[in-house]
Parts: sequence; C-alpha cells; structure tokens
Amino acid sequence: MESTESYQVKLEFFQGPLDLLLFLIRKRKIDIHDIPIAIITQEYLEYLEQKEKINLNREAEFLFMAALLIYIKSQMLLPREKIPQEEEDPRQSLVHRLLDYQKIKGVRAILRKKEDKEQLKWKRTSLSPLLNKEDLELEEVSLFDLAEAFFALMREREDFKIIKRKEYSVEEKMKEILSLLRENSFLDFLDYFAQQESLEESLVSFFSLLVLIKAKTVIAIQEQLFQSIKVRLRKDSYSGQS
Amino acid sequence: MDNRLKNAIEALIFISLEPLTMEKIKNVLDEFPPEEIEKAIEELLQSYSSNERGIQIIKSGGGYLFSTKPEYDSWIRCLLLIERKYKLSPAALETLSAIAYHQPITLAEISALRGVDSSHTLKTLLQKKLIKIVGRKKSPGKPLIYRTADKFLTYFGLNSLEELPTQEEIAKILEEEKNIEE
Repeated sequence: MESTESYQVKLEFFQGPLDLLLFLIRKRKIDIHDIPIAIITQEYLEYLEQKEKINLNREAEFLFMAALLIYIKSQMLLPREKIPQEEEDPRQSLVHRLLDYQKIKGVRAILRKKEDKEQLKWKRTSLSPLLNKEDLELEEVSLFDLAEAFFALMREREDFKIIKRKEYSVEEKMKEILSLLRENSFLDFLDYFAQQESLEESLVSFFSLLVLIKAKTVIAIQEQLFQSIKVRLRKDSYSGQS
Repeated sequence: MDNRLKNAIEALIFISLEPLTMEKIKNVLDEFPPEEIEKAIEELLQSYSSNERGIQIIKSGGGYLFSTKPEYDSWIRCLLLIERKYKLSPAALETLSAIAYHQPITLAEISALRGVDSSHTLKTLLQKKLIKIVGRKKSPGKPLIYRTADKFLTYFGLNSLEELPTQEEIAKILEEEKNIEE
C-alpha cells in the first residue's frame, strides 16, 4: 500500500499495539467508532512485517492484537442470525480500549508538559546533599562489608519467585541504578535488594553496583555504625552522566 | 498587621522538607486566629511573587513549599553540575496516567489499559516513590493494588488529585496533536 510506504514510522516508536492502531486510524482519518476492520487489519499486519529483528517480549503483544483484529474481522463476516440491534458489534470492546488508551495518551502529553515546567523549579528536597571530600574518605564502606550485607540479605530472602525466565544485563542494571540515584538522592542498600525479584536479578544488580563503585561513579557509605548502607552518586560524577 | 505571624509562617515553610499543610501551620500557630493565618499566607505568597526575589512559595502536593523561580534554572544547574534533569520515560508517564485516573488499580488492569506488560515500569515507579502499594484485591490470586503517592503530586506540581487534567483539557491536547500530525 502506498500510504504505508510513504510515511514509515518504526515500530519501536510505538508504546504498544494500541498506540500503533491509533496511529493508523488517525493517519487514515477514520472514525474511531466505525473502524473498517479489513483495511486496518491489513495495514497493521504490514507494519509487523517490516520488522527485521524480533524481540519476543514486545512482539507477543503486537501479535496478540493482530490475532484479535483477525478474529473481529471473521466475526463481522459471519452471517448474522439475530436481529442486528440486539447484537453487539464485535468491534465494540476494541473501540472502548482505544478510547481509554487515547485518553491515557492525552494525559501522558499533559504530564510531560507539567514535568518540564516543574523541573525548572528547584526544591530543596530534590537535592542530594553536596558531599565534601572529607566525607568521602570517612564513610566509604569496604567491599567486604558490602558483600557481607548482600549475602546476609540473600540468605534471609525466601520469597524469590520464579515466574518466567528474564534476562538481566549488567548494562541495563547500571542504567537503572544511576537513574534511581539521579531521582532520589540516595539508594538504601537493603531496600533496593529487598525489591529484587529473583536471585539472578539480585546477583546482576550487585555486580552492577560493584562496577559502578569501581568506576568511582557511585559511593557506598554508612553514616553511622549499624545504620543501613546508602549508595550515592559521587558529586563529581554528576556532569556528563545524563 | 503583625509581621510576626507572617514571618513565623515563612520560617515554618522554609524549614519543612515536605509541603507544609495549612492544617499543620494552624496547629503550630494556634495562638493566632485561623482567618488571620490564612490572610498572612496570602500576603506572604504575594510578596514572594514580586520581581524582587529568586525564590517563591508554591502550593503543591497539598501544602506550601519553597522553590526557585523557573528563570534561574540554568544557573542552578551550573552550580550543581547537573547538565540536564532526568525525565520519566513515555511508558512511565502512561502508567502513571493509567493509575492516576483508575486508582486503586492492579498490574493486570494497567497492562490491559496500555496493551503492554507494565510490570517493569511499575517497579521503577515504585522505586521512585511516585506510586505506592495500598493492599491486595479480593480476587483470585489476590493481586497487589496501587495508588499514586504524595510525591506524584509534587513531581507534576499538582496540589491534589482533583487538579488532574479534565476531560476538556485532554480532548484539547489530542486535537492539538492531530493538527501537528497533519
């Protein structure tokens, strides 16, 4: 179809199948309450076919929607036995979902504007205390303390769930830790590891943390004896890390 | 009018790390009549909104707090050595929208609304303390239920959940986006 060729937006650009569907509907200036299912299904499938690499986690959701579209299309082709008024339009629940999602997308845009505006107003709470050199020397926790705390915590945890096999990468975990540190001034070591879902995730997180400490991007400190260990960004690592 | 009252309120807001509620101010300054306190706060806000100051008192998250004025952002970042502030991802914003309007809500309900699995995003939002777990739903599997946390309001400069975008505002922005696309 010409239109898809001339205006290609990558699949990665969309938040999910509903986002893609809304885009296709808007592009064709279709009334959301009266979607020509056959046309939309075809365009939707064409979009999926463009994909070269397949990321199974994400792809599954797009494929699920494709199946739903095909199902609705088949429902609409079925001969109708009942009186049309009493029958529910097979598209109805999809339309509801699209409208709900459209609203979420609208709110998302408004929240982004508010975020931009609000971030220009600095509050004292949003700051991490500026660290002095002396502080750093005094408080750094040794790697043995850290490892000890970690293994003690892992022994206590019995609630690890094994739901599905998930891949964790050190790079992603490092990004996660850094973004958390930029958001909150510090990360509580115990709290953070208590939130990990599996032993595998905990190990990857712990390794990532060690890498960050070694790279002198973050620092692990214990303000007082017997207090929980806190992880902070090093003050001099703020710049160039965003 | 007695400047002492106004100054006291200023001091209380200054020292608070969280938005200071009107209720708390009245509790602490109980020797003053409530109407006078309200009037004094109004005057205080007024005096801070003048051009003579780089900081202001804003009403956010259900209370009052000090913030810098937006126009001095670049110098502040220069001082703090922060090139740019971390922003929430589109997925995080969507998840927050879904929670804000449909709370209390479960993970499955959020994922259904967005059409994508939201467990990872939800975890990040929990860690950022923008949302909180408020209990479990009495349905099969007893899933956890989530709500927006107080920090959600201050993060977006909202005073209460009632200040969330209205249907009209949402319709307006969707219309604007449509026009941009065309």
